[in-house]
Amino acid sequence: MKIRGILLPSTLLAAIIFITLPFGSATEFSFRDGGKTKHSLAAYRWILAQEDFLHYLGVSLRLALGAVFITLLIMVPTVAWLHLRAQKYRPLMEFLTLLPLVVPVVALSIGAQSALPEALQSNEYELSFMYVILAMPYTYRALDIGMSAIPLKTITEAARGLGASWIKAITFVIAPVIRNAVVASLFLTLALSLGEFTLTSLLHWDTFPTWVTSVSQQNIIGAIALSVFSLAAAFLFLFAIGLLTMRSKSDLPEGQE
Amino acid sequence: MTSTTQDRVVIKGAPLRGTLDRQNLGVLVPLLPIVLFLGFFFFFPMAVVFVDSFKSNEGNWSMINMVTIFHDPYRMAFINSIKLGLVSAITASIPGALFAYVIETKGSQSLRRIVSSLSGVLANTGGVPLAFMFVAAFGAEGSAVMILKKLGWDLYAGNFSLFSFTGIVVVYLYFQIPLMIIVFSPAIHGIRKEWRDASQNLGATPLQFWRFIGLPLLLPSFAASFLLLFASAFAAYATARAMTVGNIALVPLQIGNLVDGNVSINQANAGKALAVGMVVISAIAMIPYLIIQRRARRWQT
Repeated sequence: MKIRGILLPSTLLAAIIFITLPFGSATEFSFRDGGKTKHSLAAYRWILAQEDFLHYLGVSLRLALGAVFITLLIMVPTVAWLHLRAQKYRPLMEFLTLLPLVVPVVALSIGAQSALPEALQSNEYELSFMYVILAMPYTYRALDIGMSAIPLKTITEAARGLGASWIKAITFVIAPVIRNAVVASLFLTLALSLGEFTLTSLLHWDTFPTWVTSVSQQNIIGAIALSVFSLAAAFLFLFAIGLLTMRSKSDLPEGQE
Repeated sequence: MTSTTQDRVVIKGAPLRGTLDRQNLGVLVPLLPIVLFLGFFFFFPMAVVFVDSFKSNEGNWSMINMVTIFHDPYRMAFINSIKLGLVSAITASIPGALFAYVIETKGSQSLRRIVSSLSGVLANTGGVPLAFMFVAAFGAEGSAVMILKKLGWDLYAGNFSLFSFTGIVVVYLYFQIPLMIIVFSPAIHGIRKEWRDASQNLGATPLQFWRFIGLPLLLPSFAASFLLLFASAFAAYATARAMTVGNIALVPLQIGNLVDGNVSINQANAGKALAVGMVVISAIAMIPYLIIQRRARRWQT
């Protein structure tokens, strides 16, 4: 009986140490002044003095918003249509959208580099398109689960049957009920795009994550401070999504590099 | 687009061939954008990789690249990467599964929710920031190393290095264990309390419950999770790149080097052959994972 009582607390303690040790250490390290035990905000002041900081943050945000826009334009209507009229193609689409999970990002990068037309490869927004591909297994699933939870077809038919035009049905019936699923999928796309490193660096573009890597070569404490900043931001951001999508828990793994 | 009334006629009666085709077309056309999108940005690049890997750098059909990847240094890189995938999957799946078990069976509803959200966050915490975080903690000057030193344990007294195979495995735990918790928790959650009560009422000991009911139910999900963890560590690039200083040959890093042009141009298609090799190994792990997960979903909800 005694062992049972301490099992949960000790497990939680181990988990807390596991999470806080590296993160806490990095935070402490980022306040070090010149590698000694003296602490200051020097590294953070250094970051703010870098013009590139805001520049690359801007680049990453722009590309991520591009990916969000494409997701909104392609993924959302597709999944809605699958639920409304093309139910029998759902298994096929599920299979197709899961495939990017099977192919390592490194392999897709080399493919994109050798196959995509020059004109596209010289435009940084090619990354937005590729981010949508990388996020697709997650966004598709988030939308699919979200839309399965509501009788989308029935209520749309009801609206149409009561005389609503398609435009009215979409704005006043479909859009409001699928809003949560859509927001969740857009946040997933945003989070993945902002943190993407592998594909970005292999296609020779510079975004916030790749800039952090290049910073590390001249100022390791600065790079660690940037890592703390980006992880804390990602943490808050993803935790918000986690709470938002709590009800529609997916059995898909979260992606990482 | 066909209207609802027409749909009903088509479904009820025996439709004329022309009507059916037109209706099918109407259903399929809105699916065209995503198919084209996937085709252009995913299937087309992967097809090019596949075809080019069977060509020499002069563009003739050739098995030279496929032969090359079975020789060193690439052979060694494949062995290292597979080993990394296996070791990482073993070291993460067992603590992850135990942790998930304790939380799912002993934890309250709200604790389970917090763990689930937190795991989602941590599983995403891959990449370069993670590597730098560990440098800050376990590097030679790291905070954790200094704390341990004060407590009397000098981590660097032996030949420990963060920039080694062991170091990578340790760092990967940070996203692999949460990943395990995410994919394995639903399986534990799916074991109903009623089954346990029923087996007890029928006279089964706890050991018999696990031997004949619990483990056989959990084993497929455990195997699937293990495969996912393997594929995840096998394919990881960003963290490995930031962690190694070229001292450990891993396939993703070698592809990266070839893409970056750090190696002579006559190996351009060798990178593609390596990519095909990676896809094959990744698929061997991921396809069974997806199939088992799909089957398991039936009783887990």
